[in-house]
Amino acid sequence: MKGTARARNGFAAMPRKSLLLLFALASCSKGPQADLQYISQARSLTAEWALINEQSSEGKLTDTYTRVMRADLREQLQTTAKSLTQPNSRYGQEIQAVLGEPDHASPQALRSHADQLKQIEDSLESA
Amino acid sequence: MTLGIMTAVGGFVDISELVFAAQAGSIFGYALIWVFALSTIGIMVFGEMSGRVAAVAHQPVFNLMRHRLGLKLGLVTLLASMVSTLITTAAELGGVGLVLHYLTGAPYLLMAVAGTLVLGASMWILPFKWIERTYGLLGLLMLVFAVSLVAIHPPWPKVAGGFVPQVPSGLSTKELLTFGYFGVAIISAVMFPYEAYFYSSGGIEEEWGPKDLPNNRLTATVGFALGSLLAISILASSAQLFGPVNVGPETPGTSALEAAIPFGKAGLLIALLGMLIAIAGAAVETCMANAYSVAQFFGWEWGRHKKPWEAPRFTIAWIGFLLLSLIIILTDVDVMTLVEYAIVFSIVVLPLTYLPLMLLARDKRYMGQYVNGPLANGLGWLFFAVVTAAAIAAIPLYVLTSGGQG
Repeated sequence: MKGTARARNGFAAMPRKSLLLLFALASCSKGPQADLQYISQARSLTAEWALINEQSSEGKLTDTYTRVMRADLREQLQTTAKSLTQPNSRYGQEIQAVLGEPDHASPQALRSHADQLKQIEDSLESA
Repeated sequence: MTLGIMTAVGGFVDISELVFAAQAGSIFGYALIWVFALSTIGIMVFGEMSGRVAAVAHQPVFNLMRHRLGLKLGLVTLLASMVSTLITTAAELGGVGLVLHYLTGAPYLLMAVAGTLVLGASMWILPFKWIERTYGLLGLLMLVFAVSLVAIHPPWPKVAGGFVPQVPSGLSTKELLTFGYFGVAIISAVMFPYEAYFYSSGGIEEEWGPKDLPNNRLTATVGFALGSLLAISILASSAQLFGPVNVGPETPGTSALEAAIPFGKAGLLIALLGMLIAIAGAAVETCMANAYSVAQFFGWEWGRHKKPWEAPRFTIAWIGFLLLSLIIILTDVDVMTLVEYAIVFSIVVLPLTYLPLMLLARDKRYMGQYVNGPLANGLGWLFFAVVTAAAIAAIPLYVLTSGGQG
C-alpha cells in the first residue's frame, strides 16, 4: 500500500488534458479496447456459472435457484456476446464456446473458459 | 429501536449494497472497508442530528429545506431528491422481483408486480409501528451474512487492515478511477438522502420529544452500525469467495451464494429471505420518504399514524410513487443500471439534504439546550465536506469508468 498523498490524490492530480482525453476515449473507442468491459463481464459470468455448478453438485443450492441462475447467466452472456464490436475475434469465439456448453457443464470446463477470457483480458489491458 | 434497524437494514443493505459491496470486495479485496466505516460515522452523525431536530424542533428535513434554502433552491432540491428517490424505489422493486424470481422460479416482472401489490397492501393496512417492526425485525435474517463470514474463516488481520484508510498500490490510472468510483458509490449508498428523510419523519410519526434523545442517539448508532456490519460482511465474504475465482457479482443472486457456500440450502434460503425483506423494507422507506418530502414541502397533512383518508394527498403521493416506480420496472429496464443511476443522482443531492439540517441543528433559537455541541458541529462539517467532494467527483467518475466497469 502506498498511502502517500500523491497516490490518494491520483484523480485530482491528473492533468486536465488527460481527463478530457479519457472522456473522449470513454465515449467513442471501438475494437478490442472497447470490448474489454464485455470480455470482463463474460469472464465473470462464466466463472459465476462454474461456481453455481460446483455448489449445486455438492447439494448446497436449491433446484429452483440453480435453474434460474443458470438461465439468467446464459441470457446475460448472450447479451454480452451481442454487444461485442468484434464478434469474430478470439474472445468472441471463446464466448460462443461458453454459450455452447450445456447448463450442467462441469465447473472445470467452465473455469477453463473463464481462465482463457481472463488471459485475453489481461493481455488487452497491458497492451 | 426498530425504526433504527429498519432504516439501517433497509438503507444499508438494500439492492445497491448487495451488489456494490460484493463487487467492491471481489475487485479490491478488503481495501474499501474503510470507506464503509467512514461513511457509517457520517450517516450516524446526520441520522442522530435529524432525529434530534425532529424530537426538539419537531421539524422534518423537507420543512427545513424550504425555510433554510428558500422556495426556489428548496424546489430544485425537492425535484432532484424526488427523481433520485423514485429511481431508488424502482430499483428496490426490481430487486424484490429478482429475489422472488430466485425463490420461486416465476418470471421476474410478474414477481415485481406481485411484490409491489403486497408492499402497497402492507403500507395501506399496517400502522407505522408495525411497518417498522415487520421490516426491521425480519430484516435481521440478514445477519446470516455476518455469521457466514465467520464460518468461512477469512484472514482476520487483512479484514482488520481494511479499516485503515488506503488506496491499493500498483493500480493503473484506470483502476484508480474505478477505485474512486466505488469509493464515491459506497459513500452515496451508505448516506442515501432518503434515510434522513425517513428517519426524521419516523421520529415525528412516533411523537418523539426531548426525553427520547438518548434513545435517538442509541438507535442511530446501533442501527447504522448493524447495517454497516452486514455490508462489510458481504464485502469481506466476496473478497474471500468471489475475487480469487474471478467472479464479479452482477446481481443480488450472486451475493446469496456467500451464505450457501458455508451453510448449504438453509443458508441460501435464509439469505434470500433476508434480502427480500431488506430490499422490500428499502422500497417502503424510499416510497414513503418521497411522499413525506412532497407533503412536508407543501405543508400537507402527512403521516402513517393517521388513517389513509385523514391525510389524502400524502396517501395519493405514496401510492403514486409506488405505481410510478412499478411502471419504470415494467419497461424492462435493467435493475442494475437503475441502481447506478440512483447512486449517482443521490450523491449529487446529498449536500443539499444535509446543509439545512446542519444549519438548523446548530441554531440555538430552534434547538435551545439541545443545539449541536463542538463534536457534532465538527463531524457535521467534516462529513458535509466529504459528501460535497463526492458529489463533485461522482458524474465524471461514472462516465470515465462506464459505471465502474473500467
